[in-house]
Amino acid sequence: MSGVIHNKIRTLRFMHGEMSQAELGLRIGLTRQTIAAIEAGKYAPSLEAAFRIADVFNVPLADVFEWHASAPDSTTQG
Amino acid sequence: MPYREKVAWLSLLSILVVFIPYFTWSAMHPPGPEIPNLKQMAFYAVASLSWAAILGIGHLVLRSSSRVEAKLPMDERDIAIAHKARGYAYGVLITGMILVGGFMPFTNGGWEIANTAFFMIVLAEAVFSACIIRAYRRQHA
Repeated sequence: MSGVIHNKIRTLRFMHGEMSQAELGLRIGLTRQTIAAIEAGKYAPSLEAAFRIADVFNVPLADVFEWHASAPDSTTQG
Repeated sequence: MPYREKVAWLSLLSILVVFIPYFTWSAMHPPGPEIPNLKQMAFYAVASLSWAAILGIGHLVLRSSSRVEAKLPMDERDIAIAHKARGYAYGVLITGMILVGGFMPFTNGGWEIANTAFFMIVLAEAVFSACIIRAYRRQHA
């Protein structure tokens, strides 16, 4: 099943005093570029990194990341 | 630009600067069969040492210009990018070694085999660096 991971990191950073990507990265052991890639939805972080991000913002994981499954492709159905 | 992308650019550009002339010259003036071929060995040594010197100086310059970033360990995305790039480079290298070790001994000899092996190693290194650059440019892992 294909799908897309959406995240609210940009919003959460804004709500936490406009925390910079570099600062967030520093707190969870990732580079600024990796945080930027996660925010842009171009890189799916490991489960541990996802939990660390949620922990920084003190929210549940589901409040940071959402999984949106794509509609099944009718052409691939038997 | 991420520090590791700069390092990959350094590696790729140094390969282009040093080894395009080396392999072009070697192709245009095929080494003779005499052993030892001191002229070809000297050219080979100059190319390898030049590459090492460019990489060494380049790393020093990059480290001094990005001191903080250079000290940071690779994060999970850096590792994933390197892992994927290494897979592509391995494909190139193993193809080259099959060519050099499995076919060329029956059709070629001497410096042709040595230079083809050397070329495939350099090509694998170039593919490794190019894949890393592409991943950082596209923000993918």
